[in-house]
Order: sequence, then C-alpha cells, then structure tokens
Amino acid sequence: MFKRLRSFFRVLARRREFEEGMSEELRFHIEQYTDELMRTGMSPEKASRLAQQELGSLTNVKGDCREAFGVHLFDEFRRELRYAARLLRKTPGFTATALLTLAVCLGANLTIFAVIDSVLLRPLPFPEPGRLVTIFNTYPKAGVDRDGSSLTNYYERRGHLPAFPSLSIYSYGTEIIGEPGSTERQPTMRISPDFFSTLGLGPAIGRTFTDEETTSDTDHVAILSDTFWRQQFNADPNVLGKQIRVNSVPRTVIGVLPPAFRFLSSDARVFLPLASRPEDRTPRDRHSGGNVIQMIARIRPGATLEQAQSQLDAQNAALEVDDPQAKMIADAGFRSLIVPLHADHVAAIRPTLLLLEAGVLVLLLIGTVNLVNLLLIRANARVKELAVRQALGAGRGYIVRETLVETTLLTLAGGILGLAVGAGGIHLLRVLGADRLPLGSRIAFDARLALAGLVAAIVLGIVLAVPIAWFNLRRHLGNALQSESRGETSGRAGQILRHGFIVSQIALAFVLLAGAGLLALSLQRVMTVSPGFQSDHVLTGQILLPWANYPPEARLKFVESLLDKTSRKPGVQSAGVVDNVPFSGKTGKSAATVRGYIVRPGESVRGNYSYGVSGDYFRAMGFSLRAGRFLTAADSLRSERVCVVDEDFARHYWPNGSAIGQQLWNGSEAGKDVDAFTIVGVVGGVKQAGLTEDAAQGAVYYPYAFRIGDSFFVAARTSLPPESFALALQKTVRQIDPNIPVSDLQSMDTRITDSLVARRSPALLSGFFSGIALLLTAIGTYGVLSYAVAQRRREIGVRMALGAQPRQIRLQFLSLSLRLLTAGTLLGLLGAWQAGRAMNTVLFHVQPLNLPILASAACVMGVVCFAACLLPSQRAARVSPMEALTEQ
Amino acid sequence: MTKTAELLPGTLDMLILKAVSLKPLHGYGVLVRIRQISGDALEIPQGSLYPALYRLEHHDLIAAEWGQSENNRRAKYYTLTAAGRRRLRDETAGWNRLANAIAAALNTTSEEV
Repeated sequence: MFKRLRSFFRVLARRREFEEGMSEELRFHIEQYTDELMRTGMSPEKASRLAQQELGSLTNVKGDCREAFGVHLFDEFRRELRYAARLLRKTPGFTATALLTLAVCLGANLTIFAVIDSVLLRPLPFPEPGRLVTIFNTYPKAGVDRDGSSLTNYYERRGHLPAFPSLSIYSYGTEIIGEPGSTERQPTMRISPDFFSTLGLGPAIGRTFTDEETTSDTDHVAILSDTFWRQQFNADPNVLGKQIRVNSVPRTVIGVLPPAFRFLSSDARVFLPLASRPEDRTPRDRHSGGNVIQMIARIRPGATLEQAQSQLDAQNAALEVDDPQAKMIADAGFRSLIVPLHADHVAAIRPTLLLLEAGVLVLLLIGTVNLVNLLLIRANARVKELAVRQALGAGRGYIVRETLVETTLLTLAGGILGLAVGAGGIHLLRVLGADRLPLGSRIAFDARLALAGLVAAIVLGIVLAVPIAWFNLRRHLGNALQSESRGETSGRAGQILRHGFIVSQIALAFVLLAGAGLLALSLQRVMTVSPGFQSDHVLTGQILLPWANYPPEARLKFVESLLDKTSRKPGVQSAGVVDNVPFSGKTGKSAATVRGYIVRPGESVRGNYSYGVSGDYFRAMGFSLRAGRFLTAADSLRSERVCVVDEDFARHYWPNGSAIGQQLWNGSEAGKDVDAFTIVGVVGGVKQAGLTEDAAQGAVYYPYAFRIGDSFFVAARTSLPPESFALALQKTVRQIDPNIPVSDLQSMDTRITDSLVARRSPALLSGFFSGIALLLTAIGTYGVLSYAVAQRRREIGVRMALGAQPRQIRLQFLSLSLRLLTAGTLLGLLGAWQAGRAMNTVLFHVQPLNLPILASAACVMGVVCFAACLLPSQRAARVSPMEALTEQ
Repeated sequence: MTKTAELLPGTLDMLILKAVSLKPLHGYGVLVRIRQISGDALEIPQGSLYPALYRLEHHDLIAAEWGQSENNRRAKYYTLTAAGRRRLRDETAGWNRLANAIAAALNTTSEEV
C-alpha cells in the first residue's frame, strides 16, 4: 500500500516524464513490429499500417496504461479540483461565509487544543515519564491537605522501599546570585543528589551532587541551567571549577544541564544541593514538612502505583509505632500519598481546560451544522444540474467524489486560515497569562499543531461531505428533471433536515451562552469577596537576605532600619514587614498548641497559617482590629512573648470567651512556660491563598523576631498610587545594602487580580466563544429563512394575488422562526442544565441551574434570532405578485 | 500457419512474468518471447500488453529501466522483482494444480464413476 502510494507520488512529480516515456515505448513497439513485418516481405506502408492496427487506438492504449499505473486518479482529481474551485468562486458570499466560519471555529479549536496538548497531553520531557510520581504527606482532619515531605521522610525512605529504585527531594527558591555590585535574584532549586537520576536526565557537562555535599557546611557547589551557562558564562566549555557567588557565598560550578532540561514549570537557573544538618533528619522532624520540600520518585518497571502505595503505608505504620506523636498524627488522618507527577502538577487546572475544550468543541459543532445547512441549500439549488449530469452517465461514485473534493477544498482552505487564527489565539492566550499555567510555557504554535489543524480540516471536509453526498444521491432523477427550476420538490425531508439543524444550532449556542454566563457570574462573585484587608494603595516586595552576611541579629537590624527609613518617606502612611504576604502564591500551614485546650477524642490538631510580623504591618495592610491591640516593632525586642490571632482562630478555641490573655505555643506540642505566647489582640480574618478560600483556617501572627526566615516581604501603605513608590522602595533598600535587590514588587491589588487568572481567562474565552456561536447561529438562521422565502416566492405571489396581506406573509415567516427558536431554546435549557452540573467544580457560589442566567441567555438568543429573521420575512412581505408569477 | 489459442483471462500477467523471468526484455521482446516459448500457440492481443506491463510495474512485480536495444535504439527493459518472482512461483503452482484437476476431470471415463 505504502509502496503504491509512493509510486503514485513519484508519478505526480514526473507526470510529463511518464507521458514521454509511454509515447516513446509505444513508438518503439510499432517500429519493431513494422520491421518484423517488412522482413516477411511486406511493403513498408502496409507493414506500418498493420502494426498500428494490431496495437489498436493509441489513445485507448495510453488511457489504459495510465489507469493501470494509477495516474488517471490524479488527472480526475485535478479536474474535480478545478471544477470545485470554479463553483466556489461563483458564489463568493457563500464561500466567504464558509471560510470565515471555518477559520474562526478551527482557529479557536486549535488554540485551546494547543493548551490541552501542552499542559495535559504531551508527556514530561524525561525518559519513561509515566513512571515518575510525587509523594506528599496529607493530614486532612487537621485541615492540611498537602504538606510536602520532610527531610526525615527522605532519609527514611531512600533505598528502603523496593517499589522505588530512585527517590529524591527538591525545593524551589530564589537566591541572590552574582558578584557584589551586580547581584540579581534568580530562581533556583535545591535538590538531593539523586534528583537527576530519578528524572533520568542529568548534567550535559560535569557531574551531579554527591551525598557528601548535602551537609550544610560542605555544600559549596552548584549546577547551572543551560540558559544561565550561556548568559553568564558565554557557554564557556571550561566552566567546571569556576566560582559563582550565591547569596554572597562562593560556590564551585560542577555541572551544566542540557538545554532541554526543564523540571515541570520551574524556571530555575541554578541548582544547589538541598543541604541540611543531621539533627534535622531525626524522627522528631518527620512531620515538619510545611509544604517546602517536595518528593519525587521513579516507580520500578512492572510495579504498580497500588503496590508502591501499600509499601509506603506499611513503612509509615511501622515507623509510627515508636513515635511519641503517633496518636496526634493518626488523629489528623495522616497518610503519604503517591500521585503521578504530571497529573498532580496539572490537577488544579485540568477541569477548567477540559471545560474550555468542551466549549470550543461545541463551537465547532455549531459551525459544522451551519456549514452543512449552507451546503444543503447550495446543493438544492444545483439539483437539476446534477440530475442532468447523472442522466448523462455520471456515476454515483463520481458524484460522491465530487462532493468530497468540494467540501475538502473548502475546509482545507478554511483550515489554513484557521492556522493563522490559531497562531493569533495562542498569542492572545499568552497576553491573558497562559504561560503562568502549569507547563504553560510549553504552549507554542509548532509543526505538530499545524499538522493537527490540517488533519482536522480534512476530516471535517469528509464529515461535511457525508450529508451532502447523501442528499445529492437520494433524489430520484425523474422527479428532479420534471420539477420546475425553482425546486419546489426540495421535499419535506430536506426541509425537516434544515430546520432540525437550526434547532440544534440554537440549542448548542444557548448552552454555550448559559455556560459563559455561569463563569462570568462566578468571576463576579469571586471579585466581590473581600480579602479581609484593604488591598488598595499597598505596595509589597520581597527581600532576601543571605545568611552569610546576615545572622539573625543583623536581620532584625536590617528590618528595623528599613522600616524606619521607609515610613519616613513622603507619601508613606505606614510600613511593616511579614515573612509571607497573602496572595504571594506560597502557602504552608503549621500547628499551634493552645494552653489548657483539650483535644476532644476524634478531633485532630488544627493546621493554621503562621506569620512573623514587624513594624506597622496590620495598619499598612488595612487589617481590622476586633479586640486588644496590633503587634508593633517593639514586640520583637521585648522579652515577654506576645502574639495576635485572627477571629477564626479565636472563635475555634474560645467560642464563648475572649482570646485576649490566653496562651499558646508555636508547634504541635505544649512547651515550657517561658516559650508560651500570650495573645494580645484579635484581628479580622483574611484570605491567605486566594479569594475562593472557603473554610476558615485561622492564623497566628508572631513578632518577627520569632519567625526569622530566608526572606521577608515589606508592605507599605501609600497615599499615591502604590506602583509609583516602587523605585523609592528599591532605593531605600540599596541605601542600607547595595547588594540587596527587592523582587516581586507588586501592589496587593495586582496580586489579587493575578490570583484570578485561572477564572478570568476561561470566563473571557467562553464569552468570546458564545459571541461567535451567536453570530454563527444568526448566519445559519438567516440563510435558511432567506432560502425558504426564495423558494416559496411563487406561492407567496399567488397568495398575494389572491388577496393575502403583506403582514400575514411576514407573520407566517416570523412564526416559523419563533417555532424554531422555542424548540432550540427548550433543548438548550436541557443542555445548559447538564453543562452546569458538569461545571460545578469550577463555579463559585453559583448554582448550576441559575434562573437569571438562563433567562438572559434565552433573551439574547431570542433577540439575535429575531433580528436574523426580520430581513427575510420583510423580503417575503415585499414580494410583488406580478414579478413572482411572471418569472421564468 | 499454426493454430493460435485464445488467451484465458488472467493468464497474460503470468505469461509476462514468465517471459521477463528468463531475461530482461522490452515490451516488444515480451510479445516475441511469449510467442516463441508457447511454440507460436499463443497470440497476445497487442492492445492489452502495455496496460498489463504498466499494471505489473505499478504493483512492483516487475521493474523498468531504459537501455539500448539490439539495433541501438532507446528501449524500456523490464526485469522481474523479488515480489514478481514469488508471484510467478505461486501462480505457476496454482495453474498446474488447476490444469491437472481439469485434465483429470476431463479424462474421466465412465467406468471410473
């Protein structure tokens, strides 16, 4: 088969050569035969004539040869192509509408498919990516669904679970990289030595880390990404052994990764050992993950996820036996879950993407129905021509092939336009923030996508050809020839088919419209949710202090000096620092133990958000004070320990009493009396991770001195637009230490807006899709009604001649469209109800069956259809009886 | 003149394969060779020879190459391909089986029934 196809293409390429060769071969034959006949004594003239006679007509022989070689198919195809192109040129209105419909529908599908392909379908760029999994601890009853893994987990599991030949941990971070004076914050990853072997893809130059390099004072090594190596070292092949400064500590470069290396969505430029001290790896720290360190593993070939899970469960159970916290951990519903790495990484965005894909497929369906309808009308107009040709001997196969060539030519041309629309769509998605989706940076317009688009276009052409070919073949020749040119015999079947298509189109568009309405309403509901603080006029930025130059006391000094300088800047009303600002995209919970609170049987310890704050943080962010007082900078310096909790926390532990004066410990166990924090204030609850966060989680705010970390955020409330203060803030920081940059400088409003990207883009896109769907439905309805009017001109003329009023005629057509609209809307209601139920997971505080949305969708649908019907009905009413009757 | 037999349908391909299996031949040579090896008993209709050659070439049973003829003219020479050789073997075996069966059937006498 393949060989034959190849010879076919070879012939296509050398069509002329084939013809010349054939002629020469036949000529040679005749000459040889003539010679032979002459040798028997025949005269040259007679011999030549006889030779030609024996061979038969040259034209016939050549035709037979072409057919035998499969060339005739090509010739016929070319003829049909020319014919189809001529037909399409003859009806520019139809062709333009069809091409535009195809371009938009295929383009939109291509765009969404590009996202689905990059995010969900294409495997991760590692060998056997299906065997990569992630493992994380979960404590559902404590309100902690995901807590990463701990160092202890890693050292206890590594090499001890037969299902995992390779297991490793990593954490994301950012570090200050570069020589003093030209430092830059770069995304980094800290990884265990076996990280690259787990993934199956390691450094292209040099080596990976060793176990000896994972303790905190022997970790002065680094592996570079290809990008960093090219930018900072100019792709120097002798980079190994050179030094780079990370957080002002020199580290030796020991490896460079290949260009294709990219771990999930990480943009890490430099890889460092995930170093720790042996005392951080003890059983005591087994549950102190805090969602910072993540674990990945490769499953042994042949082992299943279930086997791996049961091995892990067994190990966890064995380890908990001598764990003093065992009971509490068990009460919290602790389990370590194994989830495929790719699926886990895209789990949050998956429903939204599938929803968009469904929406865009519905759009394609509407477009297809529209095209079928328009093509049917066109076919009807050519009934007589086809009948004549069939009568003259055009075979059924020929008619089918002709239809196929025509529809495929149309869809292929539309598909090529669709590629352009798709490329534009992908660009638009990038503007909307698609590259911030998990694996979103892989979204690109490439050859694979273009091929998918063209294949889809050809398939669509074949699909479109089926009803048209059926229609063309179904009619009886005699009928069509006898019928009058106006084609009254188009018949009930054709009409029912066209009307059925219009009804389904209206129904589908209605579903899209209602779905888009639900998404928009959801978005609106989310946007009206208060974050719990006043997000306007607040600028925030992250500052990372290297531990080498900044031991804890120096950090406190830095913070103190920064707050002092910042709050004295003109336009700044208040300024504070916090170790993690809400909506930063990083969340982790920890436990607090309340003095005197007895955990009820079956109840688990609760995870809550914990923060370290200094300065006027609460005022800068606009928190509301419910009782007591805010923390101040002075609380970091005082010897007695105080803290502030939010109202959720207070309500949970003291539902009837006051939280003020109560005491708690930072951690999951009660500690010494001197370590207890006394609650001095209760503040309003704020959304930490996102506006859609529903459950009250509780938060505890400690003085910054007790929660010093690698980095902190500074927050400043300004009287001017906050962005205008960004430069001044950077300058202030550089005044204190010229090597410390401020990163992630954003107003709180921007952070909140950005957190909605996963809701806004789908709402926008689905709104866009339903707009196109409405337009297509309008075109379809208009086309079918216009056709009905044109077809019945004579009938209308007769009726008008017999005294019918134009108003009656108009009403007749309007009532037809009203019937179609009603049927379509009723069907659409059913569809919208089902779609709403399927969308439930992505909706926020909106019921799947929302009456106002459905009513408005019905209204919009009605107006659009009515407008589309108005013109044809008007035209019907204006039919002049004289003209209609005397035509032809 | 010897009596020539009508060609049975489907046998032309087989004969062409046989002819070119002996030696590369041009189209006219195939005609002459079939006549010769059949002892002038088979006459090929010339009009169907070339379509048959093209069909066989298209199906990769024979391969074509331009070369010099005996009288120094450019001519297209056909040779048997590996697939053609297999086909010829199969068809020959099939034909022999069929011919034997028909011959046996036709030679049956009344006593044997």
